Amino acid sequence: MKLNNKLRIFTLHAAVAHSKPRLATFWHYAKVELVPPTPAEIPTVIQILKKIISSAQTGSFKQLTVKEALLNGLVATEAWMWFYVGEIIDKHGIIGYNV
Amino acid sequence: VVPPVQVSPLIKLGRYSALLLSVAYRESQALQSPETQAEEERRIAAEEEKKQDELKRIARTGLSDDEL
Repeated sequence: MKLNNKLRIFTLHAAVAHSKPRLATFWHYAKVELVPPTPAEIPTVIQILKKIISSAQTGSFKQLTVKEALLNGLVATEAWMWFYVGEIIDKHGIIGYNV
Repeated sequence: VVPPVQVSPLIKLGRYSALLLSVAYRESQALQSPETQAEEERRIAAEEEKKQDELKRIARTGLSDDEL
């Protein structure tokens, strides 16, 4: 029994030691990239939206390269995926259909 | 090694609003789901039954709760 407990404590310690630096790197990036937008950034958002609308009106969006357009599509898709993540969080499960 | 990317605020707004929208949408759907509607129907049926019992009691005894 004592050996069992020692093994448990050892694996817990090893798991913590393994994950600490990885969590630190994750936090290092998440602090900048995954932070929600602050109200101070709303004017910037309005500026960007105006630029997009004007590019749609003037037709200057046709000057985008295919690579740029694909990247924009990819970013938009990733933002839409957060919708499904929200659904998963709300239903507390991954399964979509109760088959 | 690689510095963190400065994400455009439009993208951040889009991501988090999609997240909140999905939760709000699902909660509104849950209010309309057949389960909650069945529960509400059962509640209404129970109230109806209570009223019917009250009326029957009045018809039998000829007295209402207040007069008793």
